[in-house]
Amino acid sequence: MASEVKLPRLGQGMESGTVTKWLKNEGDAVAKGEPLYEIDTDKVTQEVESDFAGVLLKIALREGEAPVGQTIAFIGEPGEEVAAPPEPEPEPAPQPEKVSDTAVSDTPVAAPPAPATSNGRVKASPLARRLARERGIDIATLRGTGPDGRIVARDVEGAQAAPAAPAAVPSGDIESIPLTNIRKTIARRLTAAWQAPVFQLTVTADMTRANELVARARELNPDVRITVTDLLAKVCAQALMRHRDVNVQYSEDALLRFPNANIGIAVAAPQGLIVPVVRGVERLSLAEVAVARGDIVGRARDNKLTAQDLEDGTFTISNLGMFGIEQFVAVLNPPQAAILAVGATVDTPVARDGAVEIRPLLTLTLTVDHRAVDGAEGADFLRTVKTFVEDPALAL
Amino acid sequence: MPELTYREAVRDGIAQAMRADDSVFIMGEDIAEMGGSMGVTQGLLDEFGPERVRNTPISEMAIVGAGIGAAMAGMRPIVEIMYEDFLTLSLEQIVNQAAKHRYMSGGQLTVPLTIRTQGGAGWSPGAQHAQQLEAWLVHIPGLKVAYPSTPEDVRGLLWTSIHDDNPVVLFEHRLLYPVKGEVPEQLEPIPFGKARVVREGTDVTVIAIGPLVHRALDAAKQAEEDGISVEIVDPRTLQPLDEEMLVASVKKTNRAVVAHEAVTRMGFGAEVAAVLQHQAFDYLDAPIERVGAKFTPLAFAPVMEQYVVPHAEDVLAAIRRTVGK
Repeated sequence: MASEVKLPRLGQGMESGTVTKWLKNEGDAVAKGEPLYEIDTDKVTQEVESDFAGVLLKIALREGEAPVGQTIAFIGEPGEEVAAPPEPEPEPAPQPEKVSDTAVSDTPVAAPPAPATSNGRVKASPLARRLARERGIDIATLRGTGPDGRIVARDVEGAQAAPAAPAAVPSGDIESIPLTNIRKTIARRLTAAWQAPVFQLTVTADMTRANELVARARELNPDVRITVTDLLAKVCAQALMRHRDVNVQYSEDALLRFPNANIGIAVAAPQGLIVPVVRGVERLSLAEVAVARGDIVGRARDNKLTAQDLEDGTFTISNLGMFGIEQFVAVLNPPQAAILAVGATVDTPVARDGAVEIRPLLTLTLTVDHRAVDGAEGADFLRTVKTFVEDPALAL
Repeated sequence: MPELTYREAVRDGIAQAMRADDSVFIMGEDIAEMGGSMGVTQGLLDEFGPERVRNTPISEMAIVGAGIGAAMAGMRPIVEIMYEDFLTLSLEQIVNQAAKHRYMSGGQLTVPLTIRTQGGAGWSPGAQHAQQLEAWLVHIPGLKVAYPSTPEDVRGLLWTSIHDDNPVVLFEHRLLYPVKGEVPEQLEPIPFGKARVVREGTDVTVIAIGPLVHRALDAAKQAEEDGISVEIVDPRTLQPLDEEMLVASVKKTNRAVVAHEAVTRMGFGAEVAAVLQHQAFDYLDAPIERVGAKFTPLAFAPVMEQYVVPHAEDVLAAIRRTVGK
């Protein structure tokens, strides 16, 4: 008799939960205590361990919200039959035409490319299926270019290169994608940010020496991947220590000024924007910043952050340079008073001593909460950041 | 490095083993004065004398049976079966005796016997003198099977066969005898179960044995002109089989063709395909293609013979099917 896996009550007052991902496939062996699936709570995603040992026979709720106590899977002996799941997933509409199986033919004959889906079955190579699984691509949305319309590896790779391929969207229908908790949180906080009166300041910094420093630091720390973001985090922390009036938060009855520079790094994680924090950056070496930043960014991408990773930030850096964005305005990350938007470093002709030279220039745009910081203070801070970026030795 | 023909390399391997060890001797039909029907053993009688280079009656069962007896008595015999078609006459001795004695005696007996034979089409020998029967023997636990494709490989594998304490069937191919190739100055034994990457490539792996190694090389050159990069791997010994290297290559290229001159149906390539689909399933981007002879007895008529056996063009067509161009 198969055991039913029911949606657990993980805390007081929890009425329902959202299953986001299964860590086991149907047919996999499961040990008692082994992580089985992930459930979305308000802030972080949590792994849930199996209460049973056996084989995962059937996943009844692949993803989505369910009330506490609903059966979401069955675990039992291999081959055991389970009762029909309470919420069967919708089957694709069967197609009337019967397609003969040509795969057994000794010499494949050339045939016009056929749609990959026939009788609900997707014709795809094992490699293509594995790549799609690894990259989270629904293989049924792809069009096969292999023999007989088979989906092959290059089709999956093509889908990866063009994620917005129109073929992936069923024509005519508006898709309704349920809000994840993280998406709701992003919406709530950024709407709040819009209520703060802000101003923006922009400078351009010559990255020649900063790039040299990053290159040298990489040589000295071959095991650590040091990036421009790490240098900017360090430089901003030093500048914040000299401009304590920027390292603040506005509250209804007081201005809070912080002793440490806790730098938040905006990360485009698969589940959405998230801003984990590196603490006390003013006390860390460049390599230490890189290690700490690598850790939280990696865990953000793997959806493994804890609530503490997201707390106590005093300043945020958002870098879109890797997308080739040269300049942009970041939205405040409340309750912090400032956020720095970092663009791409671009080789640019500049006038130096009456001659034109090519220099790597970086554009930095600071968004400031005017309730907490005035224009001159913000400008003075940004000038210090520019000075430190152009001549990092001055940050000592 | 000196250059030898495949025929000379076999002869050199036999002679070196006989010089090094008095327990090594050779027997078979017409191998002494005549030097064998394919001329492989020419000159051996002069060097080693009639005691160690022995003509036999026309009885394959007796040839192999005598070899088994001599092997169990402490010798390291090499017996020649003139055509592998005639292996069928000696199968009782090979399958029921040679392959079984070590097992059935609990290891008290060993059968260090090397059975050399040759076959293959391409010179109009007809249905009874050109078969490729390696699949019959790789099916038997207790036998080792080698099918070298180059002079260097045949000399090195022959040495290993002679010095192995188990019965080995070593297949030579009629059309390979005049093929020339460099061999090391000093004979280098080649271990069993070690495949050789004949040519490196990235798009498709051709696993070929015997003459198909050479036809696959021709096909690979043509495929390269179309921008298809072909890797060729020669297992060299069919039993034991270097599954690890074959699987690693297919995991790299994601596509596979198996090629031999024997008929495709139930051939050695079927076993290779089974190994690959099981161990590299999630890496395959196309069905595994098989290349071999059509399922028919071989005709005398040259045009009909050519129609039945696989050529470089057949390997090329299979390569194209895997990559879809």
